[in-house]
Amino acid sequence: MLASKNMLWLAGSLSVLLIVNQLWLQSDLLFYLAQLYLLGFMTFSLYQQEKEKINSSASSNNNKQMSDVDDVLIHEVIFELQQFLHQEIDIIEKELNRTKSLVEEAVTGISESFKYLQGLSGEQQNMILSLIKNSSSLDENDENPTLESFVSHANTTLEGFVKVIINTSKQSLQTLCYTDEMVTQFDSIFNLLAQVEGLATQTNLLALNAAIEAARAGEAGRGFAVVANEVRSLSVGSTELNQDIRNEISNAKEIIAKLRDSVEQMASADMTSTLEAKDKMSEMMTHVEKVNKHTFASVEELAILAPKINDAVALGVRSLQFEDLTRQSLHSLHENVQSIQAISDVLISFEQNDQKLVHQQLMVLKDKCQEIYHQTKQAEKARSVKQISMTEGEIDLF
Amino acid sequence: MSVSSNISQEDNKINIVVNERFDFSLHQQFRDAYSQCTTKKFNYALDLSQTEYMDSSALGMILLLKDHVDMYEGTLVILNPSDTVNKILTIAQFHRLMTIER
Repeated sequence: MLASKNMLWLAGSLSVLLIVNQLWLQSDLLFYLAQLYLLGFMTFSLYQQEKEKINSSASSNNNKQMSDVDDVLIHEVIFELQQFLHQEIDIIEKELNRTKSLVEEAVTGISESFKYLQGLSGEQQNMILSLIKNSSSLDENDENPTLESFVSHANTTLEGFVKVIINTSKQSLQTLCYTDEMVTQFDSIFNLLAQVEGLATQTNLLALNAAIEAARAGEAGRGFAVVANEVRSLSVGSTELNQDIRNEISNAKEIIAKLRDSVEQMASADMTSTLEAKDKMSEMMTHVEKVNKHTFASVEELAILAPKINDAVALGVRSLQFEDLTRQSLHSLHENVQSIQAISDVLISFEQNDQKLVHQQLMVLKDKCQEIYHQTKQAEKARSVKQISMTEGEIDLF
Repeated sequence: MSVSSNISQEDNKINIVVNERFDFSLHQQFRDAYSQCTTKKFNYALDLSQTEYMDSSALGMILLLKDHVDMYEGTLVILNPSDTVNKILTIAQFHRLMTIER
């Protein structure tokens, strides 16, 4: 500053001298130009010096007053800066920890629920498998009676029942046929009996005639009269016997009439109820078949669905690796905060070492800054490499 | 007559028609309708188009007719049964034993 002032003065006096000289001595243009150049040089060097002074105020020990003012200000600024950094670091640390615990909690919860879901899905799968096994074993194994087999069994039974009814009817009708033939036979027996009765009547008549003839013959026909009488009593006996036979056969006919009634009842069963039962049975059969088909289809669908659920759960579990990545991110964030913390620590030392020169302290700060900057850069580079390999590589279940 | 029959010797054919109720009371008439027919390889037709009710004895009678037909090596066709009658015939599985034409 002082030197520049002297120089200014020197340059000023020199130029005045030169101007006076010029005016006075009327010297040539070349001299005038040299004089102007000198003046310009002086001004420029002065300006240069001023600028240099402002730029390297820390290194210049010449201006004591100015440097004192700057130290105080720097202390204040650095104190404020340190305060600010400290607060920010605190908040960031707190938030980081909060995020970390939140993510950990959430991931633990989700992971547990996924595992539970996986277990449930496995159980479901087992149930479906046993269901499929059961539904497919219906036809092969009759040990487990199902609705389907029951209905089909009932259907067969009903068909057999119908067959029995019809056969009974047929046999009854056949029986009836024979009975009718028998009745016809009885009728012809009646005819025969009538003939026998006629014979008896004629015999009776003949015996009567013989008795009359015997009476007319007198004593000589006495023996013949006895014979005629015997023949007559025989004819009466045969008529009585005939009547007995007739009565017996009439009784038999009455019994046959009763037989016909009961055979009729046996033969004619009303089919309406059977018809209804059969209708219901086939309805039920259709229904059961439909239900079975539906059940089978649903079970098959479920069987397809269950592994899908498993896959989805596995994918979910795999996706939970984001927690790992997040933790890494949080960790590097923590490292970054640590770096800032280190700077802050250096700033604290400003206050503590008041006696040290600001310049030296600033130098320390600068070095520290550079060191941390490089460290952080290295760490960042390593991290981005790691992340790329993470996204490219296969992710395994943990 | 609830049962009417119509024999045509030239065509080797006998047509038996049964009216509304086909039950036990008809068994004599029904049997009489075909029993005299003892020609071999005869074609029997049982027309049930007018029949509305049938009980088990009717089925028995048809079976006896079938036996008769088989004995004389003939054929038996059931003609135009109504829905109800056809249902009964189906339950009795008559379609396996004889031809049913609707």
